[in-house]
Amino acid sequence: MTDYSEILKQERNADWRVELRNSLANKERVALERVKMTEAEPLERIKSQTCEVNRGLTADEARREASRCMDCVTPTCIEGCPVSINIPKFVKYIEGGKFLEAAATLKEFSALPAVCGRVCPQEKQCEAKCFYTQKMKKDAVAIGYLERFAADFERNSGKIQVPKVEKRNRVKVAAIGSGPSSLSFAGDMIKFGYDVTVFEALHEIGGVLKYGIPEFRLPNAIVDFELENLRQMGVNFEKNFVVGRTASFEDLKELGYQAFFIGSGAGLPNFMNIPGENLNGVMSSNEYLTRVNLMYANQSDSDTPVLRGKCVAVVGGGNTAMDAVRTSKRLGAERSIIIYRRSREEMPARLEEIKHAEEEGIEFMNLANPIEYLANKEGRVSKVRLQRMKLGEPDASGRRKPVVIEGDIVEIDVDLAIVAIGVSPNPLIPACLKGLKMSKYGTIEVNEQTMQSSIPEIFAGGDIVRGGATVILAMGDGRKAAGSMHDFLKKKYNL
Amino acid sequence: MNKIVEKQRLSELVFKFIIEAPLIAKSRKPGNFVILRVGEKGERIPLTIVDSDIEKGTITLIVQNVGASSGKFCNLETGDSITDMVGPLGKATHIFKAGTLLAMGGGVGIAPLYPIVKAFKQAGNRVITVLAARNKDLLILENEMREYSDEVIVMTDDGSYGQKGLITEGAEMVIKREKVNECIAIGPAIMMKFAAQLTKKYEIPTQVSLNTIMVDGTGMCGACRVTVNGETKFTCVDGPEFNAHQIDFDEMLQRLRAYKNEEDLARKK
Amino acid sequence: MTSLKTRFFGLELKNPLIIASSSLTADLDKIKAFSDNGAGAIVLKSVFEEEIINEYHQVAQNKVESHFDEFMDYFDYKIRDQVLASYGRLIKSAKEASKVPVVASINCISAGDWLQFASQVQDAGADAIELNLFIMPFNPNRKAEDNRRFYLDTVREVSSRVKIPVTVKISSYFSDLASICHELDGEKLAGITMFNRFSSPDIDIDKEKVITASTLSNENEHLLPLRWAGILSPRLKCPIAASTGIHNATHMIKMLLAGASAVQMASVFYKKGPAHVAEIIAGLTTWMEKKGYESIGDFRGHLSLTKAANPALFERAQYLSNFGGYAGS
Repeated sequence: MTDYSEILKQERNADWRVELRNSLANKERVALERVKMTEAEPLERIKSQTCEVNRGLTADEARREASRCMDCVTPTCIEGCPVSINIPKFVKYIEGGKFLEAAATLKEFSALPAVCGRVCPQEKQCEAKCFYTQKMKKDAVAIGYLERFAADFERNSGKIQVPKVEKRNRVKVAAIGSGPSSLSFAGDMIKFGYDVTVFEALHEIGGVLKYGIPEFRLPNAIVDFELENLRQMGVNFEKNFVVGRTASFEDLKELGYQAFFIGSGAGLPNFMNIPGENLNGVMSSNEYLTRVNLMYANQSDSDTPVLRGKCVAVVGGGNTAMDAVRTSKRLGAERSIIIYRRSREEMPARLEEIKHAEEEGIEFMNLANPIEYLANKEGRVSKVRLQRMKLGEPDASGRRKPVVIEGDIVEIDVDLAIVAIGVSPNPLIPACLKGLKMSKYGTIEVNEQTMQSSIPEIFAGGDIVRGGATVILAMGDGRKAAGSMHDFLKKKYNL
Repeated sequence: MNKIVEKQRLSELVFKFIIEAPLIAKSRKPGNFVILRVGEKGERIPLTIVDSDIEKGTITLIVQNVGASSGKFCNLETGDSITDMVGPLGKATHIFKAGTLLAMGGGVGIAPLYPIVKAFKQAGNRVITVLAARNKDLLILENEMREYSDEVIVMTDDGSYGQKGLITEGAEMVIKREKVNECIAIGPAIMMKFAAQLTKKYEIPTQVSLNTIMVDGTGMCGACRVTVNGETKFTCVDGPEFNAHQIDFDEMLQRLRAYKNEEDLARKK
Repeated sequence: MTSLKTRFFGLELKNPLIIASSSLTADLDKIKAFSDNGAGAIVLKSVFEEEIINEYHQVAQNKVESHFDEFMDYFDYKIRDQVLASYGRLIKSAKEASKVPVVASINCISAGDWLQFASQVQDAGADAIELNLFIMPFNPNRKAEDNRRFYLDTVREVSSRVKIPVTVKISSYFSDLASICHELDGEKLAGITMFNRFSSPDIDIDKEKVITASTLSNENEHLLPLRWAGILSPRLKCPIAASTGIHNATHMIKMLLAGASAVQMASVFYKKGPAHVAEIIAGLTTWMEKKGYESIGDFRGHLSLTKAANPALFERAQYLSNFGGYAGS
């Protein structure tokens, strides 16, 4: 880190940075209001699954917002970023109108800036550490919006900078799963000169970016664009391939693969195991979102059906629950209800998502928890029994524990219920590896510094290691693993 | 990729396909299935791998035209490619020397039964196979089954071939006349439910292969969940075969109807 | 032929000796040994809601960053699943190892969870359920009425949901013990076990530390359930099992004479092992033969409050003539 802070210091003293700082007094910078993101109109946008809600900043808006950044001596924003993106540099490039340079800066740290700019919870990360937030109690610089702007600008300009790739060393490595951690890993390994193949079980590449996050938050076209870049750099993608089943790890080793990165994610749905949960019309958020986002079941020309409800309840309070409930609205629900056992304030979902959901007419039933689903004569869910809760003392996570209000039970009519209470690591891949050290809860145990598992040539990162976290953390893991695997293979093969 | 090298009609609605899939052919074991899609807007559907040829690098699938998705597949011809196909999925059948195996196959369920019968025979078991179809024209794989069974008993609803009666009647006849150590029953869910009831009466360990709704087939979504011995299991990763006497068949049958309305609408299109 | 049969847990037990819930009854070898040595029934070690809370604490401590908020949000459900699945496996294995009924024991402190626990243990094959109902009255804000309502609501909910017999194990910390038992009796329970025995705090004066006292009961403790078995057994419809400090056949016989239908024992087996079950049963049989009793019913309750010649001794709280000149003033 000392190297990094030295670099940051030097960069900050570059002429163009000094000039920019002098171009506007801090007093004037601070006087500017944080930019408002243009959003699609709520009643219109709920008619479409693919209408992106946040429309993006214009160049003028971006430069103006970037000028609010005071280019701090100690940029605390970087401390909030899980992959330590050089935020002041890319923001100042934007202020100076050098949008492509801003994009290039982002790409040094993050493989998918267009994705992160949209889905990172900046308000809990970089923006939470911004000088404005910390010291002035004002709105942070809209770092997330700016990241998205730079990435989108580069994509739309057609002037994509393909990063430098080292000479091919002909050593084959494999990534399992094609979500953010594997893509990030692949992006680095290909630059190091390796022969990289990403194996994906589904028929579409992108993992949770495609099947999980709806297009009104993250258009599939954006993910595809990033994938195309990786292809251009030489990364191979094998779809419809379940490593351990279609071919075993041994088979792949015989084919020449020297090391593996497991980024197979947290694709195992969690259920509450309450009576009625197996009724028709009660499903996991994974199933619901996969049908819509991956199989386009909401479209009339898709062969995959999805159950639609007039009155849809989604259990949970995170971003997945928001995605599911907002999707149900777009699929024509008259009532789309979030049922969450804690209060509004404690919902882990991004505030922006909650705000968008509210605008779209989503109802929030807080301090309520399902205890049973009831069926109609045809075996389809028709009601849910809810236990009312109150908030007790904070538990070990620091959040107030939901406590049952004895005897206070209500019933509401629902004809579709989505269980979005979290996901767990999918056990399919780990089960194929004897000797892979796992935790009690199904995550792969790795050395935190190197992301190496108990099997030397197997590395892992993302949700399969963390249980369930964010896209940016998964990407950080992928990069870390790439660096360590590179060291490991360099030693092994004298590269 | 996934090119069809041979197509054969087995009955009015049932087709056999031999498909290029060298990796799947090599890794596959009896009881495994694939999930495939026909067309870019295709639905993911599971099909048991009936047979494979490692040298030729092919697998055999048998499918019945029962709706929009299976219909699309049945309309493909030799030389066409299947848009997406992934496998082998599911837990392989536990093949062992049981003694005498009673194999029950109903309708198109005879197809997934075939690889299991073959494997049990090759493992040194005595195999009595009871096949059932509504009528003679709908009976499939009779000769293939005869090749790997000590005896094949055919039951038809209308008596147009073999004996007239239900599969459970044929099976009970076998059970009453000789000692059966293990039973495998594959067919429509309701048939498997009654087969399980029958063998439970005689305390014969029985496996069935469930045909639940699936989407991804890798344990990701839970659409295929069933209750076995009071616990929730996923057919795609914990199954597709389970101890027949522990399955909540009523719940399974109900869950099979989940998309009935949507499927009816699709068929009308 | 002497029959030792009795009825408790809604089941006919071959004898009144029930092995109480303890760490002994989490060990499959010991469970088999208890069964082989002739125990009438076995209550498995309790599944505790506290296990879930503690496990949650452990995991949550390592996941405090905000990006784990969504992951940790319903993590207690995962832990509960694991704990219950593990308990379900214990029940299934115990059922295989034991020829006598296996009873699941549940310890919950919040109302909603009892239901799920109860359903799961039923699905796992438990023959009956023992609900551990005891709330130590150390919360100054919680009144007796609150606890009473909690107990009754819990029993009602669980009984309405499961098909297997439901019993409760209570503590003696009631100022209205008879009244609460009457109310519980109204819920069609398959039995009430009195009493639960708590671990006690103790102090190590050398280390100057609070520690847990030895948890094994001493013999004199059996006098407490003896009193209440005598008082309540004639008044309740449901059967009573006596527990705490019952270490030998003599104690067991006392309880039966007082009106209990069965006893639950644990402490003595820590010292003497499961084989001791056979000795205690033999002791009961010998006494019955000596007295000419052919079945438990022949003598059960003969010395209860309503039947004993001097029932007042059950209700007497003060020491009188024992202390001679010290008897009051």
